Amino acid sequence: MSAAQPLEAPRGSIVYNMLASLGASTMGILEVVGGMALLLVRILSRLVRLQLDLPEFKRNLYKMAVKSLPIVFVVALFTGAIVVIQAAPLIKRISGAESLLGWGAGFGVLREIGPLLTALMISGRVGANNTAELGTMVVTDQIDALRALAIDPISFLIVPRFLGIIITLFAMVIYADALALVGAAYTGQGFLNVTPRTFYDGLTTLLHFSDVANGLIKAVVFGLMIALSSCHFGLATTGGAPGVGRAVNAMVVAAAASIFVVDFLVSFVMG
Amino acid sequence: MGEQVEHARIADQGVIHAEVYDLGAQALSLVGAGRGLYSLFVRTLYYTFRGRREKGAVAAEMFEIGNRSLFFLCVTMGCIGMIMVYQSGLQTQRIVPDFSLLGPTYLELLVRDFAASIGALMLSTRVGAGIAAEIGSMVVTEQVDALRMSAADPVDFLIVPKFLASLVMTTVLIVIAGTIAFLTGFATARIFFDVSADAYFSMQLIDAGDVITGATKCIAYGGAIPVVSGYCGLSTHGGSEGVGWATTRAVVNCSLTIIIMNFFISGASLMIFPT
Repeated sequence: MSAAQPLEAPRGSIVYNMLASLGASTMGILEVVGGMALLLVRILSRLVRLQLDLPEFKRNLYKMAVKSLPIVFVVALFTGAIVVIQAAPLIKRISGAESLLGWGAGFGVLREIGPLLTALMISGRVGANNTAELGTMVVTDQIDALRALAIDPISFLIVPRFLGIIITLFAMVIYADALALVGAAYTGQGFLNVTPRTFYDGLTTLLHFSDVANGLIKAVVFGLMIALSSCHFGLATTGGAPGVGRAVNAMVVAAAASIFVVDFLVSFVMG
Repeated sequence: MGEQVEHARIADQGVIHAEVYDLGAQALSLVGAGRGLYSLFVRTLYYTFRGRREKGAVAAEMFEIGNRSLFFLCVTMGCIGMIMVYQSGLQTQRIVPDFSLLGPTYLELLVRDFAASIGALMLSTRVGAGIAAEIGSMVVTEQVDALRMSAADPVDFLIVPKFLASLVMTTVLIVIAGTIAFLTGFATARIFFDVSADAYFSMQLIDAGDVITGATKCIAYGGAIPVVSGYCGLSTHGGSEGVGWATTRAVVNCSLTIIIMNFFISGASLMIFPT
């Protein structure tokens, strides 16, 4: 960053420092976005030629999806319960609103909370884990060893993980939606005396498949963001054990920020 | 090695045995982690009142946790503010085309739950992962052992400043980020649903119960994040792979802790402050 000397700028002044740090962080963000775009192009070029390692793909799917089930289970049940607890004062305030509880909770869970919280958990468990694994391979020169053996690291390591994360998130969101609605129904019975039957009636009469589809499309887009940032930061790791920690930290932050920004964009586009 | 032999012996006795063995092992490790976490929390509290404080350590951590998370938190909470108002506006439109309660209801939800919970989930990714990565790499490079050898307890030296800084800064960050989420929500309500500022900026639904619940959540999450991620960092073992694992576990465990705490605090507040 110190290559270009400014002509007359008062070095060390507050304005100079602020501008310098603003410029540096802008360049940093652009570097990450550019790196992720390049990685996506490389992955897609392998995908259209179907160059991926099938055994590695299956191993990753098991490790990412099956092993995440317990945590998705717990998070989804609690999430459904929390949605109903937060809606409780509203329901109590409006008389006759009990029949709307299923609709309200369903709308929130299916369109927004379900995909969002599942994505955050999968980004923490699967995405961060994947970054740590790739980062460890990078700092112990295992990626270079693959190249030396004429094995393409992208099609052998990255494409299976990329696909694995997207499929995992899609499947987990389906599970999480269903479990969160079960949690919501029984919390509604416990706190508000709304029978599960009333809950499911409200759920099925006022919601359409488009609400479910909306959440599932979001799941795919979130999966794409998690997979890209996870693989990018893993491959960009430098500097031994502390470097791996830093890479994981940067990955979860980038994934969370991009999930929220993309969520906003997708919500507006699909309405 | 002994464990593997034992595992093979158990597996010989059939699938059910192996399943029960795995379940038991997992339950034992869960109990062990719970005890470790509790012990770390108690030691953190003890050293908070009795320990030696390095000058400036808390301020440095406050800068690291607070100022450096501000931009990230504002961007994410700004986005969630817009999304939530947009989605609840759509909901309202389907049932009653009356937006007069949109702002007050949203503000109530924000104060009571969303500002604190979503903000803390975001902080657990940034702050929690950062703490675990920092302490984890200190463990694998044997700096924590060096601290112990110099008769400085790593809990006193590493965790307590982060604990105090996080208690203060989580609350501050959540208030700022919540305000931003409310303002971006107003922009959305104004543009898409034509809600007037008078109708939106109304505190008619906020009562003491909401504020107390929100503040309790801020403090509970602020204390939980450094303790949980510090525990994950201190229990690191095994080189660079271990640091990665510790960071991952910190993010997952912090998020899980926040969601479970949210359930209990929300449930308790619903019983203590019935509307």
